[in-house]
This record gives sequence, C-alpha cells and structure tokens, in this order.
Amino acid sequence: MKQRFGLLIDQERCIGCEACTVACQKENGASQGWIRVKTQEAAQKDTPAGSFPELRMHFLPMLCQHCERPPCADACPLGVIVKRDDGLVVLDVEACDGCQTCVDACPYEAIFFDDDRDKAEKCNLCAHRLELGLDPFCVICCEGQAMSFGDLNDPGSKIAKVIASRETFRLKIDEGTGPGVYYRPPKRPRGL
Amino acid sequence: MTVESDPKLVRTVCPAHCGIDACGILAHVKGDRVVKVEPAEFPDPKYRRICLRGLSSLEMTYHPDRLQHPLKRVGKRGEGKFERISWDEALNSIAGKFESIAQKYGWPAIAWVLGGPGAGTTKFGAYLRLASLTQSTRVSAWGYGDAGLPCGSRVIFGTQFPYALLFGGLLAGTAEPEVLVVWGANPGESQPLNLMRPIMNAKEKGARLIVIDPRFTITASKADAYLGLKPGTDTALALGLLNVLFEKGFQNESFILRHTAGPYLVRSDTGQYLRGKDIGLEQKEEYVIWDSRTDSPRCRGNTDGLPALNGSFHINGLACKTSLQLLMDLAAEYTPQRTSAITGVSEEAIVKLAERIGKARSVTFVTHMGFTRTYHGDISLRALATVAAVTGNINATFRGGHLPAVLNWKPFLHANPEKPSYSRLGILQLYDAVISGKPYPVKAVWFSFINFLNQCANSQKIIEEMFPKLDLIVATELFMTPTARYADIILPVCTYLEFSDMIAHPYPYIQLQQKVIDPLYETRSDVDIASGLAEKLGFGKYFAGGEEAFVDLILDSKDGSIEGITREKLKRGPMPLNAIPEMDQAFDIPFSTPSGKIELYCERLYEDGQALPVYLEPLESPVEPKGKKYPLSFVQGHSRFRTHSMFANIRSLLELNPEPLVEIHPQDAASRGISDNDLVTVFNDRARTSLKARLTEGVRPGVINIMQGWWIDQFIEGSVNHLTHDVINPVQVKVYEPNMHMNDVAVEIVKFKGEE
Repeated sequence: MKQRFGLLIDQERCIGCEACTVACQKENGASQGWIRVKTQEAAQKDTPAGSFPELRMHFLPMLCQHCERPPCADACPLGVIVKRDDGLVVLDVEACDGCQTCVDACPYEAIFFDDDRDKAEKCNLCAHRLELGLDPFCVICCEGQAMSFGDLNDPGSKIAKVIASRETFRLKIDEGTGPGVYYRPPKRPRGL
Repeated sequence: MTVESDPKLVRTVCPAHCGIDACGILAHVKGDRVVKVEPAEFPDPKYRRICLRGLSSLEMTYHPDRLQHPLKRVGKRGEGKFERISWDEALNSIAGKFESIAQKYGWPAIAWVLGGPGAGTTKFGAYLRLASLTQSTRVSAWGYGDAGLPCGSRVIFGTQFPYALLFGGLLAGTAEPEVLVVWGANPGESQPLNLMRPIMNAKEKGARLIVIDPRFTITASKADAYLGLKPGTDTALALGLLNVLFEKGFQNESFILRHTAGPYLVRSDTGQYLRGKDIGLEQKEEYVIWDSRTDSPRCRGNTDGLPALNGSFHINGLACKTSLQLLMDLAAEYTPQRTSAITGVSEEAIVKLAERIGKARSVTFVTHMGFTRTYHGDISLRALATVAAVTGNINATFRGGHLPAVLNWKPFLHANPEKPSYSRLGILQLYDAVISGKPYPVKAVWFSFINFLNQCANSQKIIEEMFPKLDLIVATELFMTPTARYADIILPVCTYLEFSDMIAHPYPYIQLQQKVIDPLYETRSDVDIASGLAEKLGFGKYFAGGEEAFVDLILDSKDGSIEGITREKLKRGPMPLNAIPEMDQAFDIPFSTPSGKIELYCERLYEDGQALPVYLEPLESPVEPKGKKYPLSFVQGHSRFRTHSMFANIRSLLELNPEPLVEIHPQDAASRGISDNDLVTVFNDRARTSLKARLTEGVRPGVINIMQGWWIDQFIEGSVNHLTHDVINPVQVKVYEPNMHMNDVAVEIVKFKGEE
C-alpha cells in the first residue's frame, strides 16, 4: 500500500506551551506559526471552562489536516495546492497569487494569509525535512511529547498501532475531507 | 560536536533556565551568523528537547535593541540618557570609584548583586572570585524569592534543597508513585521538560495526579483532582491532612522510627529535646527515647529497645512528650471542619485526600517555590515535608550510583588562600545596608544577570530610598532594562551563543556550552568583564585563560563523579556523570539536622513559637477579606513566555502573549464593574499598577494573578513589584536568609481612571 503520512496529537500530553507554533515559524521562515494551539471551550486563551473549582482546560493544536480529499486543493484556481501520493497536502507559496479562495475553503481555518507577501501559507508537514528522513520540526520540539509522525497506512508504524488500539478522533469528519491528523482525547479525571 | 559542513553545526547549551535545567542545542552557522537552533541529540533520546524560549533565542542574540558598547550615564538616574564610552574608560572609572569608596568605607561597601546565572557556572564563579579577592560583599540572590524553600528544608531535613528527598526518584525515573501530589507549583508551565514530562509519564503508568494551588494552572488541567486553596494557608491544609492521617492510623511507624526524630522526647518546660544529662544518663548529650519494653528512658541508639512513638512521660520530675506526640497534639486541633474554614478546601476533599495519601503504596510530593514565597512559606515547606515524612514518602535511603556534580563555587573562592573571602548579605538585607548602613554601609552595587528593579520587592522603595543612596551602580546587561536605566555605567554582555561555559544539566549529564560565534559588536562575556576589571584592580593573574580555564578549574576538581570528563571530550557531546562503585548500594541518608534525623520538631525554633510546623496567618494575604481595605490576595504566576524577566522583549513570544494581564475571577470583577479586557488599576498603600483585566474562573475568588517578569515599561504604570513588600521574616534570617514574599500581598482593584 502506498504511504500516507499523518500526525497523532495526544491531548492528554499537550501542555499548550506553543513551542510547536514557534518551531514552525522558525523552521519555515513563516510570518506566523502554521500550527496554532486552541484552548477548547474557552473565550480566551489559557482560561478554563466550568466554575471554580470544578474546571477543565484542554488544548487542541490546530494545523492543516492533510485531508484525503482537500477542499483547498479543489478550490485553488491555479492548482498550486496539491495532494501528494504520500498523503501530504502541499501549497506552493511561490506560485500562489493571493486570491484567498483556499483560506475560505478550508473547514479547519488552517490556511493563513501573509498580508506582507500577499500569499497563502499553511503547514506542508515539513516536506523539506521528510525528504532528508527527518520528522516535522514541531514534532521534535514538542515539550509535552504529545506529537507523533508516521505512515498511517503502515500497520507496523507506531502511529498506526496507537490509532488501531486506542480511542482517537479526527476533526469534522462529516465534511468528508478524510483528515490525516488524529487526536487522542484527554483522560477523564478520576477525582480524589 | 563540530561538523564541517554548510551550514556549520556547533553543539552548545541554552542555559536560560534559572539554574535547575538546560537544553542541548545544535546551532546552524552560515558564515559568522547563527541561522537556526534545534534540540541537540543525546545518547538517551529522552533528553533531546527545547522550549519555546530556546527556539526564539536567536531573536535575543540578533535583537535590534541589544546594547552594543559600554555606556556612561549623562542624564539623571532613570532618565535614560547615556553616552558611548570605551571599555578602557568604563573599567578604569569603575576601578577608580571602587578604590575611593573602599578607602572611605572599606571594601565590603562594594556589593556584587548576582542574580540567576541561568545554569551557567563560570560567569558566576568569575564574579565570586573577584568578590573574594577584593573581600567585598557578595549579595546572595536566594532571598529573591527562593530562600523560603531552603529555610524550610534546612529545618526539617538539614539540606538546602528538598527535591531529591521528595521527588528525586521521579526525576531519575526510578519512582512509580501511585499518587502524585503537586503542591504550590506549576511545572506544566514553569518546568515542562525536566519535571512535567516525568509527571505525565507517571500518570500514564497509572499515578493519580492531585494539584493544590490557588490558580487552576496548566498542571491542574492535567490533574485527576484539583484543590484550590486560599493563598498562604498551605500549612493549615497540611495539618488538616495530618489530623485525618493520625485519626485513622495511617502514619508509617517503621519509617518514623527509623528516619525521624519522632520518638525523641521533648521537655515540656524548656521545649528542648531531653538529653541524657537532664536525667542523669551516661551519654550526656544524647537524645532520649522512652523504651516501651523496659518502660524506662534510654538514650537513643540501643538496638534492643523499642522506642515509644507517642505518649507523655514524667522522668525525674520532668514532664516530657515524644516529638511525634507534640505534632499529633497540634494536628488534633486541625479538624477537617476547621481546616476547611481556613483553607477554603471542602471537608470532604481534605478527608479524601488524606485517605488517598494514607492508603497509597507510594506518594510523590512535588513542590517548588510557589507557596514558599509567602511570609511563612518556610513553614509551609516543612508542613508538606512533614506529611511526606509521617507517611514514609521520603527518599530517605540513597540508592544512586553517583553523586550529582552540583554547582560548586569553591574552586573560585580561595584563589588567594592567605586572605579571607567575601562578606555575604541576603538580597533583602541589602536594602537596609544601602538605606541605613546596617549592618554596614554599601555604597556601590554591581548588577549581573539580574533585573533588580524589575524583579525585587517594593520597586518604589528601591527607586526613592535605595538607589539615591548609592555612589555607583554598574549593570552588565543585554538590553536597556528598567534596572540598566538607573545604572551609572552599563557594560554590554554576550548571549549564550557568544561565550563558553560548563553546564551540569540535564541530570545526569554534563554539557559544554560552546562559543558558537564571536561576541557581537563590542560585547564581552561576564568572565571577560570580571577579568578586565580584575586587571585594573591588580588581580589579573587569577583570571588567566578566560572562560576555558575556568571550565577546566571545575572539571579538575577531583570530584569522582566528573573525573575524566574534559573540555575536549565535551566538545563532542554531553557526558554522563561517572558511577562511583562504592556508592552503588543502599544506605540510610544521614540528615544534616542536629539530630541526624528528619526533624518534625525543631528545638532551635521553640522560642520563636515555630518548633512545630504551626499554621500562622499570611502577613498580608487576607484569609478573611470581609471589611478589609485590601481584600484581594495578589499572587504572581510564572509564565512559559519568559524566564523571570528574560525574553519579555522577544517578538515571536510577544505575538503569542502581547501584554501583561491581571487575572481576576468573574465574581470579583462583577462587584467592581470590571469586564474582560477593561483597563484596571491594582493598588495598595505602597503603589499602583495599571494594565488590562482578564476575567477567568482559573483563579480562586478573592485572588488575582499577574504573571511575573513583564518589564516596568510594559505596564501602563507601575509593575508587579511596585505592589510587593520587603518585610523581613526574622526566623528566616536565623535559619538562613530572608525571602521576598511575592505571593503574600494584599491589594484592591478598580477600573482605570487615568495615570497618576
């Protein structure tokens, strides 16, 4: 079976530190990190939901989901967003004309717009590093060791094994996009 | 490891953490510029790591605001008017001023105020050597928020740090706790790499995580249970737990007998431990136990006796109790009902937590500096450690194969063994030394690795009463910080990529912080600066060889753990500490308390009323806020976006966290008409600060939080430390050094009505 690279992000281990965001920005020379950490259910970042002291706070790192059927690629009039055979959805920034159709088409709000350069930008899963056999930079910089990268189609890969044996979820699957980013939900608190 | 390629790769260390951790860094260099940093490989891959500050550290090295050459003040202090001078002029003028001050007041009038050197060793050592050679004053930075911890630890354990005893097994990966209690600390944000990772690993293996904190922190968000207590009431909570533990018989008697002074008798009349001589026993100075087998008193150490753990006794007319009995009597007063009323934690939670701790096979208690930054925070540390000791959850048996090579300044201090070394003042004691000349006058201060004005208590007092009394202020700095602005002479320093140092982190590794690029502009390393000044003062020969020679000085110290580790070998990568064969066995730790045991009771503090870990109300934090002029407790959390005040000016971090916020509970906000994002003023009798409000359920009602480390310039007015006080706790002076109590401050908050 052909490769399909993807990510697994464990919310139980994500401490919301945003090292991934800074790592992405540095690695890609981006105007901003293409992975953003959302505080779930919260009006403001880093604030919990619930009432003191019965509270919960979970972090959800959001990035391009490297969809099986990427709506951004369908929408791009110039065809500069490509679904590759190895599962990556790659945007060729140089060829982008800044029309922002893709930004609107993405149901995950994972495509960013660099006003200065007038270009769309998004996570390419560090395709330049994968060529050298290296993991995406955010994965190796994750402070909580919450992120894993691997081949979803290889049943022997660590990531595929976890997905097969543990509870995971993907975002907005009813949109029919077939996201390649899996999340493990946080454990339920067991109390005192 | 230096690999010749394009880009060139150089292995170094980011030492930005405050002396407890450091990450290996692989720097990518193109020409003379570092273009990228990444986490460097380790023999054990779990140590390969970096944080968001390390990732953005190139922005510090290449920051447009970096100080580039020495500066001399030309305007008024604090006005920010400076003029460029040469290094020679700067060092000559400092040396001249030092000598004239020393002539008039003696060398102790010159004080080296050295803050957190990061994890670095030689830059700290260089200034200590200069302080030692000139017999001037070293101002210890322990009191800069960290002294409460050793003040408590020294009393109960005799050690400066309680970490190895409380959670050493967790750090070393040998502990498999059933329960983890994180108390008054937020490692999820302030120590994610060395501490939160093992906590999450333990939780993955089944440990139940319980977090106790007035704030619902990132660590709390990972907890199975969260207890949000009132600030400064930690000791009461610990006594409440002990109440339930004793009531239900959960104390670990064999541990208490073997490792604590619990069975030793205490005289009711003097509050001192009973000694052999008091009752005519032969071993005059020895501690006395009550032998249950013979129903008579005996000196400790008789292996055939059975010491009573509790009870009252009359011996030759002297009323005595075991020290454990005294603790049990104290704990008996803290019923769940009373403890709940004081702490704000529910009775049910207190009982359940005590039962959970009591029943667990093994509990790891994790703490750091949070609650020890209250006026009686030293007692809180003792109280937590008492809960751990009574339940046998202390690593009281040494099982290591090597001793960690701790930061060891000794080789730096006695460069000239003929002469005495420096005088020492705690940082809070510096205030009085400058302002009123007590215990002796200080007329010049040298600030290195410290943003003193920003980070120390009672900023207004520093500006109005302290700085004007100083004849000379020198700061070695990267940027024009709020402190540097008040300096007479500013000396520009290097970032970590521009000098070499030895780093004893992450345990059990030693790393070389290799100079990656030459110092930018006219900047110099702290070792070079100390060396340059030493030259002017006639001590140049003690600094020959610079940073490298100082690294060798540490590595050549003949400590078995680091024997054979050389600078050349370290260039290739980190080296683990050596195992010492004879250390590779289990033995009971001899505690360096007077009794050699864990002291649940400290006779030296009897006259202070603190022989036991008694609950004393916080100095300011209002436990009962009703009717108080300042009804809110103000605490300062530590943010992942800064290490103290470092990184506060880094663009990519500011994009994620742009400005200071005061976190306030919606109830407290509503009663004051405050909405989210409103500008507000936080104030007390000392001063005021104005900033934006953030409404959140994540702080206990009655508590407000501002993350520390923002620079004074980043507030509309004031700053966190404009609100804090510099009151000295005399018991801490007696035990070690007085601490600043940043988390024991009362304030009120109103909507912002314009600057004062």
